[in-house]
Amino acid sequence: MTTTQPSPRPANPGPAPTRRTPKKTRTLGQRIFLYAVFAFAVLLCLIPLWAILMATFQPGNMVFRNGLNLGLDFSSAGLQNWVMLFTDSGSYFVWFGNSLIITLLQTAGTLLVSSFVAYGFAMYEFRFKTALFVCVLIILTIPFEMLMLPLYVQINNWKMSDSYLAIILPFLASATTIFFFRQFLRGMPRDILEAGRIDGVTEFGIFFRLILPLMKPAIAAMAILNAMASWNNFLWPLLVLRTPGKYTLPIGLNTLLTPYGNDYSLLFIGAFFSIIPILILFLLFQRFFIEGMTAGAVKG
Amino acid sequence: MKFTKPLALLVGLGLAASFAGCSGNNSSGVTATAGSSYSSTVDQGAGANATAFEFWTFVELHGKFYETMAGKWNAQHPDKQVKINVNVMPYDDMHNKLQLALNAGEGVPDIVDIEVGKFPNFTAGTPQLMDLTQVAAPYAKDIVPARMKLYQMNGKQYGLPTHVGAMLAYYNTDLLTAAGVDYTTIKTWDDFKAAGAKYVAATGKPFSTADTSAMWQISLLLGQNGSDYLTADGKLQVNNDTMAKGYQMLKDMQDAGVLKTIDGGQPDTEQAYGLINSGEYAAVVMPEWFMSRYPAYMPDLAGKVAIAAPPVNADAKYKTIGQGGTGTAVPLKGKNPEAAAEFLAYAKLSVDGATEIWNSLGFDPTNMALWSNQAVTHDPNNAFNKYFKNNVFDVLNTFKDSIGFLQSQTFQAMPNVNNAFGTTVQNEIFENGADIKATLDQAQADLKNELGQ
Amino acid sequence: MRDQGDRMRKLLYSQKLAPYLFILPFILTFGLFWLYPVIQAVVMSFQKILPGMTTYIGTTNYSRLFGDRIFWLALTNSVRYMVLTLVLLIPIPLLLAVLINSKLGNPKIKNFFKSTMFVPALTSVVVAGIVFRFLFSESDSALMNSIVEFFGFGPVKWLKHDLTGLAALLVIAMWRWTGVNMMYFLAGLQAIPTELYESASIDGANAWQKFWSVTVPNIKPTIVYVVTISVYGGLAMFLESLMLYGNNNSPFNQGLTIVGYLYRMGIEKNDMGYASAVGVVLLVLVLTINLIQLTATGTFKKETR
Repeated sequence: MTTTQPSPRPANPGPAPTRRTPKKTRTLGQRIFLYAVFAFAVLLCLIPLWAILMATFQPGNMVFRNGLNLGLDFSSAGLQNWVMLFTDSGSYFVWFGNSLIITLLQTAGTLLVSSFVAYGFAMYEFRFKTALFVCVLIILTIPFEMLMLPLYVQINNWKMSDSYLAIILPFLASATTIFFFRQFLRGMPRDILEAGRIDGVTEFGIFFRLILPLMKPAIAAMAILNAMASWNNFLWPLLVLRTPGKYTLPIGLNTLLTPYGNDYSLLFIGAFFSIIPILILFLLFQRFFIEGMTAGAVKG
Repeated sequence: MKFTKPLALLVGLGLAASFAGCSGNNSSGVTATAGSSYSSTVDQGAGANATAFEFWTFVELHGKFYETMAGKWNAQHPDKQVKINVNVMPYDDMHNKLQLALNAGEGVPDIVDIEVGKFPNFTAGTPQLMDLTQVAAPYAKDIVPARMKLYQMNGKQYGLPTHVGAMLAYYNTDLLTAAGVDYTTIKTWDDFKAAGAKYVAATGKPFSTADTSAMWQISLLLGQNGSDYLTADGKLQVNNDTMAKGYQMLKDMQDAGVLKTIDGGQPDTEQAYGLINSGEYAAVVMPEWFMSRYPAYMPDLAGKVAIAAPPVNADAKYKTIGQGGTGTAVPLKGKNPEAAAEFLAYAKLSVDGATEIWNSLGFDPTNMALWSNQAVTHDPNNAFNKYFKNNVFDVLNTFKDSIGFLQSQTFQAMPNVNNAFGTTVQNEIFENGADIKATLDQAQADLKNELGQ
Repeated sequence: MRDQGDRMRKLLYSQKLAPYLFILPFILTFGLFWLYPVIQAVVMSFQKILPGMTTYIGTTNYSRLFGDRIFWLALTNSVRYMVLTLVLLIPIPLLLAVLINSKLGNPKIKNFFKSTMFVPALTSVVVAGIVFRFLFSESDSALMNSIVEFFGFGPVKWLKHDLTGLAALLVIAMWRWTGVNMMYFLAGLQAIPTELYESASIDGANAWQKFWSVTVPNIKPTIVYVVTISVYGGLAMFLESLMLYGNNNSPFNQGLTIVGYLYRMGIEKNDMGYASAVGVVLLVLVLTINLIQLTATGTFKKETR
C-alpha cells in the first residue's frame, strides 16, 4: 500500500518486448492514429491558453475591440501589461494573497474534515448509517446553486457575511470528497484498526496516526480537485464578500470587466497569471494524482 | 513525467514573441493606467473629526468627483467635515450587493450610486432609503424637474440626479463632408434618413447604429411623441402604436442601410468605441454623457465631431428627453444619514457641484443655473470644449424648455421591461428581422406574466 | 479528577460513540447548510418577499412560474445543454482514456498528454469565460471568425445566435471537462484486472468486443458517477454563460439557464420568493433524474450496502 516511490501503474508496460507479432505495420498505423488524436486534442487544449498569453501583450481594450487570436498585432504589442502587473497593479496581489489563504485553509480543512467523516462511514457500523450515507449521496446530486439564496439569507442572519468563514464553513464536509475517501478506505484492511486497538491507541489516534498517513495518494488526488475548486470558486464568494480588500482573484478579475472602469489592461495578464499557482500545485502533485484517483475509483 | 516541457515551450515562445513585441511601438494611443481597483488621488482636506462615509459606485470617475466635492465642502463647512471612502464595484455586482445588504439591513454603504434603470428595485416594499426632499429643497428651483421625478416614489425623493443626459446627435463631420452631407440641415427624422441614405450611397458604409442592447433610440422616440412603455398608473403597454411606429421607422432605416447593428449592441461599449473611432459609423444618437466617452476612447476623432439636437418631427411633444443617469441615495441604515444627505445634496445639486460635474465628468448638470454661465460652459481650456467642434451648451439651450421624461422609469416594472427589450425585443427586430407587432405583443404577454399584471 | 480522566478515556476508546463523533461534522453541515436552506427555500417559495414586508401567498409563485415563458426557455436551455454535455463528455473522454490505457504508444508521451489535457480544468470559469468570449468575438479578426473565413464564410455573430451561442458554451465545457472526465475513466480503467482482457483474448474477442464485454461493464460505476455529476453540472450551469455573454442578459435569453433565472429573479430583481420557487423546481428536477438514474443502475443499493 505504501510504496514510497509511487510510479504510474504499469498498465502499459512500455514498448512491448514481444516482437513476434507479424502485424507490425498495423501497430505502426495504430500508433500514428493514436499520436494524431493526442496531438489534435493537446492542440485544442492549448489554443485558448496560448490566446490569453498573446492577449497579455496587447492593450486590453484592443482585445475587446478586435477579439482574441493566436498572433500578435505588433503595432500595439509590448510588455507594458507585464510591467504594470508587477509595478502598478492596484489590488491584484492582495486578491492573489486572499485566494492563496482561502485555498489553503479550505483545502486543508476539507481534506481533514472529509477524511474524518469518510473514516466514520467506512470503518464503523452504527445506527442510521445507511440513512446518513444516503444523505451524502443526495448532497452529491443537489446543486449548491439551488440553495444559494436561502443560504445567503441565513449567513446574513448569523452576521457571518463578508467573512472567509462564511465561504469555507458550509463546504468543509464535502460530499464528493467524503464519497471518494470512503471508496478508498473501504479497500483498506480492517486489521490495522484491530492492531491499533490492541496497542491501546484511541479510536481517534488510530485515524490520525495509522490511517491518515496511509491515505496519502487519495489525499493528493483530492487536494488537487479541492484546491482547484477553491481557487476558482466564484459564485458563493461573490455573494458573500463585500469589502474589496477581501476579494479573491476570480472576483477581483471580474471587477476588471466592468465597462465603467475604463481599463482592461490588467484583465488579461491578471487572468493568465491566476492560472499559475494552481498549475504549479498540479505539477507538484500530479505524480500522485492518477494513483490516488485510481485507488479511490468507483469500483464495481 | 516531463510535464514541464509544454510549459517551457509555452514560456519560451511567449518570451520570443514578447521580444518581437518590444520592437513594435505602442501606437495604439491607449495608455495603461492603474488597475481598476480604486485608489484615491484626491486630497479631501478632511480633518481628524471628519465623518467618514462609505460610498459605493460602479463608475470610477464618480469616486473622484465625490472626493473633490468633499474637499470643497470641507473648506466651506469646517464644523461638519466629511471624508468619502470610495468603493468601486462592477455595475451588476454593486446593485446586487446593495440589494442584499439593504434586505439584510447590514453592511450597507452610507451613500450609494444607483443606476436609473435599477432604481425602482430599491423603492419597492418599504424603501430602505432616506427621503431627501428636505436637503434638496434649497436647490430645487434650478433643477430640471423631470430629472428629480425619476427618483421619486409616493412623493418622496429617494435619490438625487447627476445629470440631464439629454439625447443629442453626434456627427463625424469629416466623414459627412466627404460624402457631401451637411449635418446642420438635419432637423427631422426624415432629414436624418435622407442624409443617411445619401451618405450610404456615397460611402457604402452605415450612417448610424441600430441598437439592440440599449433603448436610447426607442425611448427618445417614445418621449418625443408623448408615449411610454407603461401607462401613467404603471400598467404595461409595450405593444402600443407609437412604439411600433418608432421601431418601424428605425427598421426602415436599417433596411435602407442607413442604420446597422454594431458590435457590442449599442454605441456605449468598448467594441463600438473602436468602430466609431475608426469611422465605421458616421453618426450616433446618444445622451449627452456619451460626449465624455469621445476624448477617452475615441481619440482619433478629436476636432471632427459636431454636436446637434437630435432629429425631431414637427408634431413632437418634446424635442428631446433625458436618459441614463444615477440616482445617488442615502440608505437609512447607514451611518449618520442626515449628514450624508446634506453633503450629497451639495455635491450633486449646488452650482459648485454642477460646475464640477461639467468640468470633470463632461455631463450636462441638472442645475440649469449653470447652463447660462458662459465663463464655465465656454471655458476654452475645458477638455470637452477642445475636443468637439461646437459647444454642447449652445445646443442644450436650444431645447432647455422641451426636455421630456418617461414616467415609466420610476415604476418597478421597468427593470423587467429593460431586460425584455435589451435581450429579446430589439434583437428580434434588428438581428432577426422579426415582425415588429408580433414581437411587441409577445413581449407584452411575457412581461404581463413575469410581473403578474 | 481521576473520574473525569476515566470518562475521557472511555470516550476516546468507545467504539460505540466513535462513529458518531467521526460523522458529526457531516451531520452538522448537512443540517445547517443543506437541510435548513432546503426547508427555507420551500417556505420562501410560498411567500412574497419585499424589503420589510413578507407575506404568505400560497402557490402564486408556482402558478406564475408555470405560465412564465422565460422560465420554460431557461429550463429548455439547461436541459438541452445538460443532454449535449452528456453526449459529448462521456464518449469522447472515454475513448481518450481507452487510448491512453492501451498498450500502444510511449508511456512518457501518454503521461504528457494526460497532464496537458487536465490543464484547462485548472482555469477558473472567469478566465475560461473571458478567453472564449473574445475568441468568439463578432470582430472578423477574432480566432473563430478567422477560421470560418478561411473556409470561405463571412464573419459570424457567434454570441447573437442561439445555436452558435450554444456551440460556444459546449466548446467551453469540452475544453474544461474533457481532461477531468478522462481522468475519472482512466482511473476506472486501470482498476480493471488485466486478466479479464487476457481471458477475453483467449476466447478470441477482438478489440471492439473486448471494449463492450469487458471495459464497459467494469467501468459502469465510473460511468454512473460521471453521469451523475454531469447531470448536476449541466442543469446547474450558470457561470459559463454569465462569463461568456458578459452578463446574465444574453440576446434572446439564449444563454439563460435555470440557475441564471434564479439569480436574475432572486438577486437582480430581488424577488426572492419567486426565485425560491425556481430553485425548488430545479431541486426536484435534479433529484428526480439522479435518483432514477442511481436506482436504475443499482448504485444506491450497492453504495449503501
